[in-house]
Formats: sequence, structure tokens, C-alpha cells
Amino acid sequence: MSAKKGLYGTWMAVLGLAVLIGLYTTYKLFADGHVLFNTNDVIIWSLPLGVYIYLALASSGLTILAALPLVFGIRKYEPFAKRLVFLAIATLCGAFVSIGLELGNVFHMIYIMLSPNFSSPIWWMGAIYSVELAVLVVKFALMHKGDWHSGFSNFLARASFLLAIVAPLMIGSVFGITESRVTYFGPVMSIYCLLMAFMSGTALFLFYSLMVNKLNGNGAPADLYDEIALIFTYATAVVVGFTLLKFAIESATVIPEFLVYHQFEHAFGAIRGFHTEVLLGLFLPFVLLLIPSVRASAGGKIITSVLILIGTLFMHMEILLAGQSHPVGPKAEQFPEFIKYFPSIWEFLVFLFALTIMLLLYTLGERYLKLTEVPE
Amino acid sequence: MSRYAMVIDLQRCVGCGSCSIACRNENNVPDGMYWSNKITETVGTFPDVRYHYIPTLCNHCEYAPCVRGCPTKAMHKLDNGITMHDPKKCIGCKYCEFNCPYGVIYFNWQDPHQFWRNKNQLLKGGTASPREEVNKVNGKETPYYNPEREATLPGNRSKGVVEKCTFCDHRVSEGLLPRCTEACPANARIFGDIEDPKSDASKLLGKFRPFRLREQIGTNPHVFYIRGYNPAQYKPTKGGV
Repeated sequence: MSAKKGLYGTWMAVLGLAVLIGLYTTYKLFADGHVLFNTNDVIIWSLPLGVYIYLALASSGLTILAALPLVFGIRKYEPFAKRLVFLAIATLCGAFVSIGLELGNVFHMIYIMLSPNFSSPIWWMGAIYSVELAVLVVKFALMHKGDWHSGFSNFLARASFLLAIVAPLMIGSVFGITESRVTYFGPVMSIYCLLMAFMSGTALFLFYSLMVNKLNGNGAPADLYDEIALIFTYATAVVVGFTLLKFAIESATVIPEFLVYHQFEHAFGAIRGFHTEVLLGLFLPFVLLLIPSVRASAGGKIITSVLILIGTLFMHMEILLAGQSHPVGPKAEQFPEFIKYFPSIWEFLVFLFALTIMLLLYTLGERYLKLTEVPE
Repeated sequence: MSRYAMVIDLQRCVGCGSCSIACRNENNVPDGMYWSNKITETVGTFPDVRYHYIPTLCNHCEYAPCVRGCPTKAMHKLDNGITMHDPKKCIGCKYCEFNCPYGVIYFNWQDPHQFWRNKNQLLKGGTASPREEVNKVNGKETPYYNPEREATLPGNRSKGVVEKCTFCDHRVSEGLLPRCTEACPANARIFGDIEDPKSDASKLLGKFRPFRLREQIGTNPHVFYIRGYNPAQYKPTKGGV
């Protein structure tokens, strides 16, 4: 018991230190500017934005998964519901930390409310995620008070589910509708983001719950986790199918921008022409998940979900960077034909700060908010 | 209603770069940014080689992707067709820069004009520091600061916001030409209201067949290029046989 207390104290001290580092990073970024990032007028968006996409999509995936018990009434999953909603909130908070530090002038955020542009996918993305966060917080508060299925509580569950579907579509459209970069693939990006959201949210829940069970020594029945692992396998299968289709279309097209893009893709290397992160972070865990004994074991579930969680981040980064790595128009006069990118220490610190806020909320929630509660 | 546009005569343009230098001075453009820029291309193999030079600037598109995508309407259209930016509303998301098909928007990654902020003398006691040079002429961040830019935009934009060409809206509203047009020694730039059929710009667009950059994506850019200079000659043959 005291060893556990000691571990908790150490963990909180580590998180506290990371928060202090994060606050210093925030100060430095807004004092010195985003020159601290390894970005330029070609690689405009970098790791902090990739982390935002990654966490925001995972949060949407968690909310969609929470809809199984809360919207579709599958009561056997109710032991997961409160934790899913809480994880969605905490993960989205981490995403907001990352995007807040990615913005150049966060003090002017007020104009998002005062001067909204309804034709902007960025505005819709920000608005939808903000509303989703508010809806999730209220829904969680009601669940915490024991109100799981009143009319208002059900309405909030449905609203959060719909918002969690629309938000990834908006993230996809931020990239998909850019005139300057056809390689982002138009509407395909929105569908891709939605599928990635569900897969990564399921992976995050599986990994987190199994780790908490291992640490606390209790949890929901194992067969329920087997069912979640099966859902996870289906979600991964859909992403694998969609990724193969995307590769096939990309390889077959002779649109000039795609031919140029082919020269610059593979930010993380390739194995026989295939992206490394896709092979190791998507195809490999999918193959492992197809083996029933791997899917049934806790270790198998943890390894596959970790591979997917790491792979998803790299896949988002690959897409983000490959579309930006060569200069547009006259910028080719002042920049090389191909720009290599590796994050600066400050970008890693933004990533660390986002993760810290997320993990701090996870830790406090797990300790004080009875996340495995079910309705009476 | 006026609709301002620029016609660039590639036969007259000598590629001297006066437009870019004049633009920098007029708009206090920081190092590393180019409101007025160029695309160059060399094709062929010596001696059969050709050098292309296309001056570029913001195209002030009718359907501007930067305006459509800006979440706060910081990037917006004026009634006269100029695409304008309001740094007070800019949250620095850089979506306009990401979304611009022409690569003409830049982000202030740090406070501009870093060179002129330097208080160190190159030779101690022998030379003035850049900051002293600025102070000597009562400049504002640079010794060549142009206060006229302040009429419609902060004279120096701050870190965390984007910036780009405004067709010198502060001059145009006073009945003057954009600075790049005025400074062009070859009179290769013709600026005017293309809604007015009597303007020189309208007449040129009727007389020559113009092209625009990346027309196929449907942004309806308002920088037009006419003619093209090519001094090369070749021996006449019957079908090259």
C-alpha cells in the first residue's frame, strides 16, 4: 500500500515538474515567437499541429465509442462509459494545449467569437471541438451525479456523438479543401480522419484501461475487453482497407502535383516503397489482431494498441509534412526544392506539455471521480 | 464599383528587381519576406537554353482561398477587390499561408527587423550598432521606416501574424499607383480598374491574350501577364527536314 502511495507521489511530482516546464515553454514561445520551432514559410505546420490532430481525433474516437452504451443503449458496456467520457475530455484538453501553443497570437483568440468566418473549416473545427468539450463536461457531471439517462442527459450523449462524428470531418476538410495542395486528396481526407479517429480512440481506451487494471488489479470482465478488442480489429481493418485504396489512387494518378509529391513522401522512410510507419504502425498490429490468441491476451491487446497509437501519430505527421515539404510558387526561389524537418526541442516540449495535461487529468480523474461507476 | 488589377508586360520586364526593392521600402517588409517576388526557370541545355522570369505578388483573387479559410476574417476583401489583412484580428493559425496557391503570404516567426534591433557594434568604438543607426535618424525599428504605411496597416507587423502585398492600398486610396508600379523603370506594370473599359489595364487585356498563374484552380486571380520576351532566332526550314 505504501509502495503504491510512493509511486503515486513520484508520478505526481514528475507531472508537476512537466507542468512547470510546459509553463516555461509557453512563456518562451510568446516572448520569443515561433522562431523557436523548426518551421519556416514552407513547413508551416509541424509537430504541435500533428499532436493536436492526433489527440483531437483520439478524443472523437473515445466519444464515438462511448456512444455504444450512452446512445445505442448497449448496457453491457456501461462500466466503460464514464471512463470513456472522461478520457475524451482529458484528451481533448491535451489537444487544446497543443493547438494553443501552435497559434502565433493566442491573445487574439477573442476574434474567433467576435468575427467568425462561417466559410472557414478552421473556424468550424474550433467551434465544434469547443462545443463538444462543453457538452462532454456537462454530460460527465450529470453521470457523476447519477443522472445517466434523463432526457437532458440522453440529449447530451447524442449531441456529443454527432459532434464527435462531424469534428474529424472538419479536421479533414482543413486539409482536403486547400486549393494549393491537391495531394491532400479532397474529401478523402475527411473520411480518413473519421476512420483514424475511431481506430485511435479505441486503441487509447484499450491501452489505458488495461494498464489501469494491471496497476489497480481490478476492472471490467475480461470478455468485455475481448469484445472491445474485436471492435478495435474491425476499426483497424477499415483503416487498412482505406489506406490501401488511398495508396492505389495515389500511385495510379498522373496529376503533376502527385508526381512531385511522390518524390518527397516517406518522411519516416520506406520498406519496399511502403511507408515505414504504415507497415509497422498499422499493418503489423492489424495482422497481430487477426490472430485470436493475440487478441485474447492482455499483452497482445496492449502491444497492438501501443503500435497503433505510435503509428497513428507518425501517419498524421507523414501526411502533414509530405504535403508541405516543397515550396509553393515563388518561395522556390528562396528555399530548396525539398525541405527536411525535425522538431526543435521547443516543439517536443509542446508535445510533452499536451501529454502532461492529459495524463494529469487521467490521474486525477482515476483517483477521485469513480470512473468505473455504473448507473443504479 | 472599382475592381483593381495589375497587368504585367513580360516583354517590357527586364527582371531588374526594382519592384521588389521599392516594395520593401514602401511597406517596411522584413528580411526573408517578399511581398513582391519572382518565379525564375531555366530550361534547355547550353547553348539552346532559355531563362524565364515572372514577377509575382499577391494575386488579389476574386475567390481567394486565404479569405475563405481565415477563421476570424482577418484576411478579407475590400470593395475594390483588394485582398487585405487585419493583423489585429489575426490569431496566427497560418491557414492563409498554407492555403495560398501562389506562395505569397509570409508569417512573422519573430519580431521583425531583427538586424536593426542589434545593440552590438561590429568594431567596438569604431562603428555604430544597428540600433544606434536607427536612433540617429529617428527611425522606427529600421532607419528607412516608411510611416505612410501606417495609414491602413501597422507600419511594422508584429510577431505571430502573417503579412502580404496589399496592392499598396494606402497609396491607391490617395489616387497614387502601387509603389512597385511607380518604381518599374521599364513601365512593365500597368495598374488599374478593369471594371472601367477605358482604363489602360482593361485595354491591354482586350488587346493581348493574358495568362494568369494556376488559372485552372478557379481562384480568378487579378494579376495578368501579357506578351513574353524571346530574342532567340532560328533558321527557317521546310518542316525541320
